[in-house]
Amino acid sequence: MHVSTKKWLFTKISSLILIPLMIWFLINFVSIYDKEYNKILEFFSKQPSKILFSVFIVIAFFFSALTISEIFEDYLHDEKIKNVANKVLYLFAIIIPLLTILGIYNLNI
Amino acid sequence: MFNEKKVTLVYKSNMENKNPLSPHLQIYKWQISSLLSITHRIVGVINFFSIILICIWTVFIIFGQNNYQIIYNIFNSTFGKFLIISLCWTFSFHILNELRHLIWDAGYGFDLKVAKITGIVALAGSFVLTILFYLLGRNFF
Repeated sequence: MHVSTKKWLFTKISSLILIPLMIWFLINFVSIYDKEYNKILEFFSKQPSKILFSVFIVIAFFFSALTISEIFEDYLHDEKIKNVANKVLYLFAIIIPLLTILGIYNLNI
Repeated sequence: MFNEKKVTLVYKSNMENKNPLSPHLQIYKWQISSLLSITHRIVGVINFFSIILICIWTVFIIFGQNNYQIIYNIFNSTFGKFLIISLCWTFSFHILNELRHLIWDAGYGFDLKVAKITGIVALAGSFVLTILFYLLGRNFF
């Protein structure tokens, strides 16, 4: 399979997984954003919100990295700049969700 | 058949001759399909930054109650509420337009009339969905 076909397939599969997760997160986020610290802590410390939020973050960054690299492909014409931009993007897409998930799994009520 | 070498040659020649590259946003007449296409990209980038902000929000939670108070005050201000409602819209729009793209990928909805109707549905629906998500989150129902 061609690398671009693989990329397209991964984008489509991740977008399909992301849709229900976005709906779940948005409804929960709207319900808790103005709550006291303990309520928020409870949300992130309990299941299934802990695992669902982790999956949401991972898939969201995975999908974003793939789609934003397509934008780079369309608008950045200097190969060196494009390579650096893609590397920075992929690095962010790995480090940010990883640190967030590690933090959540170390939360204690 | 896709010929990578030929495409690269044409691309290089276009660059050397300084030919205009697609999409020609300043040339095309605006229509629902082009409007949604560029909005989808812009909203996608906004959502990427929104998800980074959500991660920062969780970091504030991880670092304790005093740090959380800063973000709590922002979210409870008028600007904060504007941010939350904007997030509801960007997510709603992206969900509906992505569904439209997935339907296209399955091979349906290419007819010009159908594409226009689904475009209007995605745009109008994003506002309806924003209200619905907000009310659902606030336990209005």
